[in-house]
Amino acid sequence: MNEPTVTNERVELAQLRGVSKFYRKGDETIKALDGIDMTVAEKGMVAIVGPSGSGKSSLLHILGAMDRLTAGEVIVAGQSLGTLPEAGLTDFRRKTVGIVFQSFNLIPNLDALENVMLPMEFNGIAREARRQRAQQLLSRVGLAARLKHKPRELSGGEQQRVAIARALANDPPLILADEPTGNLDSKTSQMIYELLKEIARERTVIVVTHAEALAELSNRIVHIKDGKLVA
Amino acid sequence: MLFIGARNLWRSKLRLVLVAGLIGVPFFLLLVMQSIGDAVQRQTEILKQNVNNTLQLRARGSMGHVNMVGNEDILPQDALAKIKAIAHVARAEPYLLAMTPTEGHNFAMIVGVDPQDTRRLESHGEAGNPKILFGRDLTDEDRGKRVAIIGQGVAKWAGIKPEDVGRATLTLDLKRTHPVIFALDRPPVTLTVAGIYASGYVFGDMQLFMPINTFREVYGIAEGISWLYVRADSAANLPAVERQLRTMLGDIADIISPTTVAEFQTTATAAVQRLAAGGIGLAAALMVVVVFFVMLLVVRERAWEIGTFKALGASDSGIVASFLTEAVLLCAIGALTGALLFGLWGGALAQLIFGLGITPFLPAHYTTLAATLALAPRFGSATLTVLIVASLFAALAGSAWSIRQIIRLSPMEAIRHE
Repeated sequence: MNEPTVTNERVELAQLRGVSKFYRKGDETIKALDGIDMTVAEKGMVAIVGPSGSGKSSLLHILGAMDRLTAGEVIVAGQSLGTLPEAGLTDFRRKTVGIVFQSFNLIPNLDALENVMLPMEFNGIAREARRQRAQQLLSRVGLAARLKHKPRELSGGEQQRVAIARALANDPPLILADEPTGNLDSKTSQMIYELLKEIARERTVIVVTHAEALAELSNRIVHIKDGKLVA
Repeated sequence: MLFIGARNLWRSKLRLVLVAGLIGVPFFLLLVMQSIGDAVQRQTEILKQNVNNTLQLRARGSMGHVNMVGNEDILPQDALAKIKAIAHVARAEPYLLAMTPTEGHNFAMIVGVDPQDTRRLESHGEAGNPKILFGRDLTDEDRGKRVAIIGQGVAKWAGIKPEDVGRATLTLDLKRTHPVIFALDRPPVTLTVAGIYASGYVFGDMQLFMPINTFREVYGIAEGISWLYVRADSAANLPAVERQLRTMLGDIADIISPTTVAEFQTTATAAVQRLAAGGIGLAAALMVVVVFFVMLLVVRERAWEIGTFKALGASDSGIVASFLTEAVLLCAIGALTGALLFGLWGGALAQLIFGLGITPFLPAHYTTLAATLALAPRFGSATLTVLIVASLFAALAGSAWSIRQIIRLSPMEAIRHE
């Protein structure tokens, strides 16, 4: 992995310049992102807040190389995503980002431990090593007793904690969480946010949410509307 | 990823059972078709083995039937001893033949043969191998006795039912004539019917075999041979044997080199095999279609999972390998299911299909023809190869396209894909 760039004594993990994302819906062209310029510092938690359809998830996906951008430049951890070939993007997703989805996206026929081991398998880590790390991560998120449970045997909060442990599996510098509490009750949501905040002490966590109260827990809040950042 | 693919098999037991059934049935049909093709091929090979190294000798210019108008000349008896002395002659089998009228202008062939020798059928596929359907074949103990086995056509004409075999008798009236049969001044003779056979063709079933010394007594032929079958020790030595026979026998005998005797059978075999191959092709195509649609559904249903794998850093090749593993294993289970069904009911169905395919072209009393072919559910190396190749082909052809549709999307496009 390349070293993050240092600008004005701040360590920047991600830099976006003129990023746009358009897609077609029938005859209409939707501007999901429209000329976004933004930098994200290394470590800390950033909340991207905005109404539904504002482009906040699109921004997150572009940052994680989960989606293709239409125009502009995205540099994360020194890697310009627009210039990376498909294999390079795969390597980037594997090593540089960990993603947490709103609906958890756990593999249903794998247990909690196996779900957490999965990204490490993609990263070529030996079986025993990935088992040990997965156990440590699940203990860290409070699921040491649920290692062998399948996703359907876990509550929503537990599933999301497994997903967070999975995002941490390859020790990436950037964690992206797309509405991580969207399917959870308020008490569980608070717990998940606190967990993410704790994780943000050692790496960058970018959270997409439209829950302002939870966003208040972040180090920085970015507002987005109609595909543009707003003050 | 291969392990994940293998584990995905068990995600839904209902799906597994359904797909195993959907793949298993065409595979079962494929094996049945192959079984029919193999059985017919085996039959032809047996025929060829009995024909390709054999020569047929008859008195020159004669059919050698003792009561056939203009064809009653037979070979001298001493020809047998001379021929047995020729190098590379493995066996010489003398036959005596006569004819008897049946109904209308039809007739049946009467054949005298040593019980140790092959029951060759006249006019077509002289290799013989008629299959005894009811009763028993001729044995050494029958020599000199008034015992016969008859084709099912003769049985029908004589009104002999399967349950009567062993007790039923058939009387030959040697004075009866026919445009090509002259009367012999011999008393009628009654033979006990020991068995009924099926030959696989109409004229072959209109024949009667009795011990050759019984024939001599019945027809008053103390010496002489209608047909003499000379078998060389190998097909390669057949031309040498033929040359020596021509030198030795001069112009008293016609020597028929029967290399084309099995031609009709070979042609028929090729036709059945073409049908079987067509059936195999259809069954394989059906398998591919089933796997294609199953995998299409599976991939579409799990597009979000493919997207998640991609988001977590899985390589495209790893994801493809995972799904192909699942598809191949699904096919393998389907193939095993088909093989199991084949083991249970394959022989019976092959018999039925073969019967349905052939019997409409034969007279009604040939309905048991299908039973004459050994259509047992067997697995050879060829079957195993077909099993593996068909599974792999169906799995790869059926799943590769649908996976490719999803794999080329970005992770989020795949997750959102419907």
